[in-house]
Amino acid sequence: MSIVTVQLGQCGNQIGFEVFDALFSDSHCPQKFCSKRENEAYQASCKERFFSEEENGVPVARAVLVDMEPKVINQTLSKAAHSGRWKYGQHSHFCQKQGSGNNWAYGYSVHGPRHEESIMNLIQKEVEKCDSLSGFFIVMSMAGGTGSGLGAFLTQNLQDQYSNSLKMNQIIWPYGTGEVIVQNYNSILTLSHLYRSSDALLVHENDAVHKICAKLMNIKQISFRDINQVLAHQLGSVFQPTYSGEGSFHYRRNPLGDLMEDLVPHPEFKMLGVRNIPQMSENSLAYSTFTWAGLLKHLRQMLISDAKMEEGIDWQVRPPLSGLPTLGKMPLTKEFHFNTSIANLVILRGKDVHSADLGAFKDPALYTSWLEPVTAFNVWKTQRAFSKYEKSAALVSNSQSLVKPLDMIVGKAWNMFASKAYLHQYTKFGIEEEDFLDGFALLEQVIASYRNL
Amino acid sequence: MGRRRRRRVDPADAARALPEAIAVLTRTLPTGPSPETFRRAKFDRPEAAPALWRLLFCVLSPMPADGASPSLALEAQARSVKAALRFQGYPRRALAQLPDDGSQGGRELLLALAWLLARGPTLEQLLAQSRVRLGDEMPVCECESLASPGPAVPSVEADGCVDIRHLQWLMGKLRFRWRKLMASQQEQCALLGKIHSYTRGCHSDRSLGHLSVTETELLRDPEGGQQLLQRLERENVRLEAALEWRRRELVFWQWMDTVLGACPPEASQPTFLPKIPAQGAAELELVVRELQALQEELQGVAETRWAAWEARVGGHGPEWSASRRALQEAVRQDLVALQWAWERGGGLAQPHGPHRLVRTEAGAPEGRGLQATEVIEVLRSREACLEVVLGQLQGQCRQELARLVGTLPGLIWIPPPGR
Repeated sequence: MSIVTVQLGQCGNQIGFEVFDALFSDSHCPQKFCSKRENEAYQASCKERFFSEEENGVPVARAVLVDMEPKVINQTLSKAAHSGRWKYGQHSHFCQKQGSGNNWAYGYSVHGPRHEESIMNLIQKEVEKCDSLSGFFIVMSMAGGTGSGLGAFLTQNLQDQYSNSLKMNQIIWPYGTGEVIVQNYNSILTLSHLYRSSDALLVHENDAVHKICAKLMNIKQISFRDINQVLAHQLGSVFQPTYSGEGSFHYRRNPLGDLMEDLVPHPEFKMLGVRNIPQMSENSLAYSTFTWAGLLKHLRQMLISDAKMEEGIDWQVRPPLSGLPTLGKMPLTKEFHFNTSIANLVILRGKDVHSADLGAFKDPALYTSWLEPVTAFNVWKTQRAFSKYEKSAALVSNSQSLVKPLDMIVGKAWNMFASKAYLHQYTKFGIEEEDFLDGFALLEQVIASYRNL
Repeated sequence: MGRRRRRRVDPADAARALPEAIAVLTRTLPTGPSPETFRRAKFDRPEAAPALWRLLFCVLSPMPADGASPSLALEAQARSVKAALRFQGYPRRALAQLPDDGSQGGRELLLALAWLLARGPTLEQLLAQSRVRLGDEMPVCECESLASPGPAVPSVEADGCVDIRHLQWLMGKLRFRWRKLMASQQEQCALLGKIHSYTRGCHSDRSLGHLSVTETELLRDPEGGQQLLQRLERENVRLEAALEWRRRELVFWQWMDTVLGACPPEASQPTFLPKIPAQGAAELELVVRELQALQEELQGVAETRWAAWEARVGGHGPEWSASRRALQEAVRQDLVALQWAWERGGGLAQPHGPHRLVRTEAGAPEGRGLQATEVIEVLRSREACLEVVLGQLQGQCRQELARLVGTLPGLIWIPPPGR
């Protein structure tokens, strides 16, 4: 089943390119540990999901590119075409000549309605090319101006027009010390709108990925391209094909649907995060070997101590003993905080994957009281390795780990709102104070629900 | 020509007739036990019980198409059989009282089997369910899925509080599964369409014109063709056995009379009472009192309304009865119109059961069978009716919630914002 990707704004388009590139590279990576037949099945599954076939045989990404100015889209299109390996559809993009002034309200109230028909037509054409549609990826930044406003508008439109299809928004969480003054306002509005119309919000934090680039990949001058490639690697290791069940050797038809059913069925808990292990520069790969036991041990500790990478993990954090409330286990130094999960999905790829022991993830102490581990924890596997990593594991989790960042943003935005700073930029284009208040109320509710696990 | 000597019935033949009849019956049924098992069951021997529990389970639960039987434990099968029989209205209480572990009850199970066979076209239904399908079929009505309740799910005792978040989680999972199912069905339709159009002109039967998935697989995979042939042969055996059964079954029914006679007389109180959990008693009291209060209230309101209406309409007399007849006639016509709207076609036969999908070119002469557009029309009008009913039920729920909330002091109810 196919997924149609909508790439929005500078952020969305640059990341989208890296994602398709990573998917393509992985599916054509020479494999040592799996049979030719299996590899072909893997490639076919990946191809059907993310690419469509054109006459001359070059795969065409199932994507629609949207931006209000032409520069980034043209760069993206030409990068893909020059690679010669895959490309974007000739007419699958939409852009305007003018810029947009980085204004959320303008993106939502002006650009959105004005260009709604053209953009939805492009999406409709992509959908018609699919034999079956599993759902949509919408890649966008949360705090940028037009990209995020337009993204919120489009997601609502997709909800209305394709109400049975699944929608996952890939949201880029801005740096804490970002440059845009009103980024917190934008974040509030984006998140609150998406929470109502999207099925799942997969959050990628710029700060976390930046640290991965610095510490694990040893990149000196970190560019956006590096960050986007790490992100693409994470997404690829989640959505590339996996077996449909224990003991099965057929690839799962609808990973997006399965993921959503496993992780976000509750309407109040839609925020997901991704962790990946091992993450390292490809030069160092040749000198490292891993065991499943080691990888999973680190991954589990990354989850419960809310670390985003395998270096610098706090091993002191332990799950609470049964019977004691989670917060009651806090020692004197208040930094120790146990990250309770609602549900987790672990994806294992590579050699001897069936021997991996996941018992530690089934510990009820990791999870909230109203879900049993048998429901809350799921595993996907495949023997076919991801890219050049002989063994790799990814963890998609619905947990408390986004509570703190979200709370910070809400706090900062509220302070600005209380003094009515910069509100005229929004009210000028139809976003009233009431919309802000609705957004605050919804997000406070989300924070409270997550805290109350 | 001499008078034909009438053959006297050989006692040995008579003795053989019953086991042969039972053998034919078991050839027809999915997992037939031996005639010896039946005999033991009449005398309530414990070793006969498990086989009969399994047989009843196969008869009562809808069989999966590819013949792979679900591997449920005997206990689960026994519970499922009891629930299914209860659902169908089986009257004998003794069966419900049998232990769940499946160790006893051969005679009661025999009686249940005979009841099922006598009651309706059980054998024919079973054969129809498990027949080999060569075409790509889809049902055009919901009768089959509505009739069979499915295997009984063990009821979960909710002792103490249930976290509502868990319920919301489960509802959400159901919704996602439904959406995934929709996507899968669309995929299946798209792929079926492709296969049907690619194999145009390949079928020897001109009225069909193209191959189905099974038929295409036959061409691609000869090994699979062998398996299909074997399945068809097995089905043939069962069909022939079913025909023969119809000729021999009298002997079986005569024997079943003796089985019934061998049972101890049944105690009184044949009705089944639902199990009421102990804690529910207090709430039930409350519900009973509320219902009584509601009934009195309704009676009062109805009486005043009736009196007011009568006063308005005027007394009795010939013109009154005439207008009343006219009213009744109008109501009757309304009901008929409603029913017609529901069934969309008045006296025409309702399409039922699975039909084979055949794709024809636009403009080709209409073949036999249903037109897809007609079926779609019927389904759409049904959908519209059901949506109306759903809306009414939702409105009633909302009103009820509002009323309940009004009775609880200190509770503020904020309904979700309409989209």
